[in-house]
Amino acid sequence: MQRRDFFKKLGVVAAVSAVAPVMSFAGDKSKSKNAMSYKTAINAITGGKTPKKSAKVKLKVPEIAENGAVVPVTVNVESPMTSSDYVKAIHILASKNFNARCIDVHLTPANGKAMFSTRIKLGGTQEVSALVELSNGDFLIATQSVKVTIGGCG
Amino acid sequence: MAQKRKSLIKIKPKKFKDGEVVKVSFMVMHPMDTGTRKDKKTKQLIPAKFINSVKFSYNGKEITNMTVWEALSTNPVFTTYMKINGKGKLTVTYTDNTGEVNEKSKKIKPKG
Repeated sequence: MQRRDFFKKLGVVAAVSAVAPVMSFAGDKSKSKNAMSYKTAINAITGGKTPKKSAKVKLKVPEIAENGAVVPVTVNVESPMTSSDYVKAIHILASKNFNARCIDVHLTPANGKAMFSTRIKLGGTQEVSALVELSNGDFLIATQSVKVTIGGCG
Repeated sequence: MAQKRKSLIKIKPKKFKDGEVVKVSFMVMHPMDTGTRKDKKTKQLIPAKFINSVKFSYNGKEITNMTVWEALSTNPVFTTYMKINGKGKLTVTYTDNTGEVNEKSKKIKPKG
């Protein structure tokens, strides 16, 4: 019995130590003023509308990112970019970062082409999505999961 | 409170005509600290310092306006497209969460 108990306890300790780094990251969430979860961020941008999944939005993110501190993201949207029909805004969101919003880009017809690219930080394996606002008020979304081997927010 | 930062505006292709759509990228040397990371030696939190907003304007007319959060990488790059519309100047203004405002501009000379 004693031996059994010992192994049980060992198992618990291992589990706690495995979870601990995640918890310490979770503890940091409350410290940031800009913390916002993925769902509230989407609601804040769309104003309650549900974004449609569309093939018009092309999100280019690596499936496996070795370093979470530098993840290149490219968003391409098929649009004529005329004064009557253009892409109003591109939002890049990361589902598990303490602040889900990465960047909001407000475009105008003077851009000529609806494309944006940067490099973002990811805290761990999660989903990256591009939320696109069109000039007629519709919202489109494209999502892709990214595997991160080393987190970038530690 | 302005501080000198290395920044660069790149236009691709280098030679372009009037009315052409070109790729514009803007790079800055900036730490982009999130405010949740700890200094390994002193074990204290590094205060947040990140770019808040970036504005691209062409001959005084705003073409792209970005709201930026902590999640961008250190030394960020912003790439978009732009329609060339005569001779002029492309100005990029970027603001920090600590109130630091900087500016970078580039002359635009279309050929032909």
